[in-house]
Amino acid sequence: MPNLSFQEQEFLDGLIAKHKGRPGMLLGLLEEIQESQPRKYLPMDVLDYISFRTGIPGAQIYSVATFYALFNLKPQGDHTVCICRGTACHTRGSRTLLERLQYELGLKQDEDSGSADKLSATTADGKFTLRTVACFGQCALAPVVEIDHSILGHVNEQALERQVKALRKGGHH
Amino acid sequence: MPSKISIRIDGELVHARLGQTILEVAAENNKPIPSLCSMKGLRPVGACRLCLVQVEGLGRMLPACTTPVQDGMSVTTDNAKLRGYRQMIIELLLAERNHVCAVCVANGHCELQTAAAKLGVMNTRYAYRYPNHKVDLSHSRFTLDHNRCILCSRCVRACAEVEGAHVWEIGGRGIGSLLVCELNRTWGESKHCTACGKCVQSCPTGALAEKGFAVEEMTKKPEPVSRIAAFREVRP
Repeated sequence: MPNLSFQEQEFLDGLIAKHKGRPGMLLGLLEEIQESQPRKYLPMDVLDYISFRTGIPGAQIYSVATFYALFNLKPQGDHTVCICRGTACHTRGSRTLLERLQYELGLKQDEDSGSADKLSATTADGKFTLRTVACFGQCALAPVVEIDHSILGHVNEQALERQVKALRKGGHH
Repeated sequence: MPSKISIRIDGELVHARLGQTILEVAAENNKPIPSLCSMKGLRPVGACRLCLVQVEGLGRMLPACTTPVQDGMSVTTDNAKLRGYRQMIIELLLAERNHVCAVCVANGHCELQTAAAKLGVMNTRYAYRYPNHKVDLSHSRFTLDHNRCILCSRCVRACAEVEGAHVWEIGGRGIGSLLVCELNRTWGESKHCTACGKCVQSCPTGALAEKGFAVEEMTKKPEPVSRIAAFREVRP
């Protein structure tokens, strides 16, 4: 039934055995699976297999995976740019940053994200993922942008453009 | 602790059993509290907030469906403030999706419509969101129209607790919440759906309906689902 290789199945079985019986095992399990994926997401085949193996209903797994912003159901880019859309950052012009970068990367608003201001999209070449976040709690540095888990404060369009250009040239760091 | 207790509902002294909820006791004593997400036999979740009541000595309101009765409790089930909140909830539900009664299979048999009429909601003071939701016609016998869904999760619980298939769940969060079938499959592709129809009968609106019914023709019968639930004692 599963569309996974034996190695993948064995790997997942190991993770399931490790988490089995713990309260709230699904969260930890999904987190570890996502981390183990090269593209940092939860493929449907894997979720199907988890449901099949653990007996947790697929609907419940999907519900958890879509409730938490931490989980991705789509492959993520090499670099993640997170733009804060909190109130402080908004008043300091984070919308312009977002729109500018969206234009720069050629990304469109995610249609099934539900709300108009929420975004999580990856470029076609798989280089960049652009997403919004509600607040980093770094409002004194507004507007805040997070690039590959490091926080940048007082960002303006030029600085953001420079960063993205550097990433595009330099590749991984 | 005595298993038989007495509480006051709208000033009237009534008897209740320990473990009952305010909603159950009120209904037994001919003081129905409006509710949408509660259904006999299903675990209460307090999703719709329509059954909010005031309990003396408490500053905040409590949902009657999830609040167990306590000895000496004094509950107010209806006053101008509560009615105002209930009307607002109905208005928000109506504004959230595309509830067009005139073309709905459940027109005339819809709990949302009935609740709105009973509470005197004639129009909404909020702008309609007109979301672009899909209609799932992939199942051979049933239809799912997200535009009419109020996310009460009665279908979720009927399927998980009574039928035991757990095909449904609420996915996403906030305004982006949506009823999902298994791993976001269409209903027709579902691997665990037994086509029992319990979700359809539990649905308070026209969101879940049987195929072959035209406007106003879909009547729901949640009572048999409640009866099966009582046999199986789903509540721990």
